[in-house]
Formats: sequence, structure tokens, C-alpha cells
Amino acid sequence: MALGILLILVGGGITGIAVLLHLLGLSKPATLQDEAAAAKAWADEFPEDPALKVVLCHDRHAALITTARGRGVVWPMGADTTARYLTGARIHPTKTGLRIDLPDFTAPHIHLTLDADEARAWPALMEQTA
Amino acid sequence: MTDMLTYPDVTQLAVPFFIAAILIELMWIVIKRRGGRYETRDALTSLIMGAGSVAAGILLGFIAMGFFMALWKITPLDLGTSLGVVILCFVLDDLRYYWVHRFGHRIRWVWASHVNHHSSQHYNLTTALRQTWTGTFTLMMLVRAPLILLGFHPALVLFCGGLNLIYQFWIHTEAIGKMPKWFEAVMNTPSHHRVHHGRNARYLDANYAGVFIIWDKMFGTFVPELDAEKVDYGLVHNLGTFNPLRVAFHEWLGIFRDVMQPGLSLRQRLMYMLAPPGWSHDGSRDTSAAIKRKHLAQNPQDAGTPGF
Repeated sequence: MALGILLILVGGGITGIAVLLHLLGLSKPATLQDEAAAAKAWADEFPEDPALKVVLCHDRHAALITTARGRGVVWPMGADTTARYLTGARIHPTKTGLRIDLPDFTAPHIHLTLDADEARAWPALMEQTA
Repeated sequence: MTDMLTYPDVTQLAVPFFIAAILIELMWIVIKRRGGRYETRDALTSLIMGAGSVAAGILLGFIAMGFFMALWKITPLDLGTSLGVVILCFVLDDLRYYWVHRFGHRIRWVWASHVNHHSSQHYNLTTALRQTWTGTFTLMMLVRAPLILLGFHPALVLFCGGLNLIYQFWIHTEAIGKMPKWFEAVMNTPSHHRVHHGRNARYLDANYAGVFIIWDKMFGTFVPELDAEKVDYGLVHNLGTFNPLRVAFHEWLGIFRDVMQPGLSLRQRLMYMLAPPGWSHDGSRDTSAAIKRKHLAQNPQDAGTPGF
């Protein structure tokens, strides 16, 4: 296949599929139904260190987790979630909440959408282990 | 001896089919509200990884091809290109794929290249295209050497490898439950391959087949999909980024950081490259064997069931 045609097919295909998915409403981030769902999402990543305390943010897209080993966060990865400890985290306020920078190549920046009260309260909670 | 032999690049020719099949699967899921899940950024990452893999093939393919042609020059054997030889080559190349794929899960150096294929928490046709950019660096081209030395022309071997990859495209779906029994017994299917993409302790390190599932049954790595245990897709520790560069290179960086730790012996540094993923010199991480062991300690009733 000529390289030009291949490029058009690949570029057009990727763009078209991405636009279609977005228009179909398939870009919505995962929502954690309740504290138990957040604890389960944490356990999916760290089954040997269960959540002892869960603080769910107002829109239920993220949760602050306390475990025996320290604190961590659960956040959406598209329609799914992932989780990380906050060891070595640097926390920065943003217009929509907080940005957490982690020394982790696989999760370098976590953007949390928080309301004003949460954005004020969460850094103090996080910095206890940061 | 045939030096000049050309076959079409079937993976490139299949691109329109890939796009059409993805659209059909997506429509099926949206209309029927079952048969899998799609998410924009996940799918976009998978598709970009696929495009990057094609680009890497174009840029670095000459290394493998040069190696294969050097072997072709030294082998006294030439099996030709009859239909029987093509079929035999396809079957033997699938055996080659089984072992490369098994090495890809059991040797961290090779896993560093393959891990990105497992990094989606989704399982749909775009996941099939989430392919490596760094396969050349694993040196797994060496596993193809016996085929060429036996007299299969390099172009034929690569053609069969392309057909193998195209076959594997359609099995990355939840829209198909199980195929007829005879087919499930011999061929790799969506059901068998869903197991391979599972992060459940039961499903780790299972079903390495490309086309024929018989290799897993022969070599003791077959685990059936159980109705009682839904497959949980993704990595044991899922990624927190959709950035394709991070998806492509994160495990290579992990190896580099581990190997460069101060105070390790030469053996420990080599083990960080060549031992199964999850190996660590201080036992602070878990290999798949350790994950299974821990699962059985908590769920002794699972002992002796598939995957344990």
C-alpha cells in the first residue's frame, strides 16, 4: 500500500473513531458510587493494604484513601479507575481543584476536580504522607 | 535458491478492515447495550499505539529483515513456496509465536515491549491494535531463525507472521461469547484470549496462543474462561496515564532504574532484566507465581481448579 494512502487511512480512521466515540457520550469519567466502591477500586490495585478510611469528593470522581501504610488516591482513568500512594507527591492548586505530581512515570500527574472546600482541605490531609 | 520473493504486507492491507470492524463492534455495543465497552481516550491510545507500531515496523523492520536475509544466504535449504509449504510455515510460525509470546510474559526484557498490549482496562477491537513500538529491541527475531534455516524464505515467514496477527485481531472482543465446541478446541478464540488479558490471579500467564490454542494445551498453559469468574482486564498495577510515550516505554524505564540501583550484584542486575516481571532482589514485589500463591493462601478452595 502506498505510504500516502496508509497515512490518510490511519490518520482519518483514528480521528474519525475518536470523534465518534466522544459524540456517542463515551468520554465520561468513571464515577465511584459510594465509599465502598472507592475502597474496592483501591483494593483492585493494592489488595494487601485495604482502605481504612475513604473521603469521596463531591462529584464522586475521586477519593482520598487512608490505609495502614499511608494515604493514597483513587481517580478515573477514563471509564475505569486506578490508584496510587501519595508518597513523594507534590500538590498544586488549580482553577478546578488540585494537581498531584507523583514521582511515578506511569502516573505523573493526577488532576482532581474538587469544590472550594475540598480543594482547601485535601492538601493538608495529603501532606501528612507527602 | 530464491533470493527475490515478495508477498503483500497483509497487516497494512488490513487497515481498512480493522477500521470497519471497529465501527461495527462499536455500533453493536451501542445498539445492543452489551458485548463490551468503549471509552474515548482508551481507544485513542490503543489506536495511536497501533499506528506507532506500524511506523516502528517501517523504520526498524530492516534490522530483522537484514538478519533473516543473512540467515537465508547461509542456509543450504530452500523449501520453495508451494501451498503445502505455506501452510506448514504458517503452523510452525504460530508455534514460534506461542514461545515468543510466552517469553513476553516470563522474561521482563521482553515484557517491557509487550506490556503495552495489556495496559488497557478495556477489551475491544482497538485493544488488538495496542501493539509494541519496541519489539525489535527484544531480539525475539532470533526465535524465527530456525524457520529460515530450515528453508522457509524470510518473505514467506513474515507473510505468515502478518496473517497470524490479522487472525488475532478479531479475538479481542467481548461481543462474541463462545464459538462452536470443535472450534474452541483447536483455535484461539475470543473466550480463550479474554483469559489471556485477565489480571485475575487465576488467569495470569495463560493462553499464549496466536492462532491455534493447541499449543497451550500441549505445553500446560491453557486455562478456560470460567462463567463463575469474570475476566478483569488490564495490568496487575494499572497505568495512570494515557500518554502513548509513557505507555510504550514505562517498563523499559523501570528496568533501567532497577538495574542502576546502587549496591546490587551483577546477578541481581541481570535478574531485573531477565527474571519474570515482578521479581525483585528484596522480595518487595510479586511475580505472577507469588500472586497465585497468595490467592490460594486466602482462597484454598481454588486449589486444583483451572489456573491454580
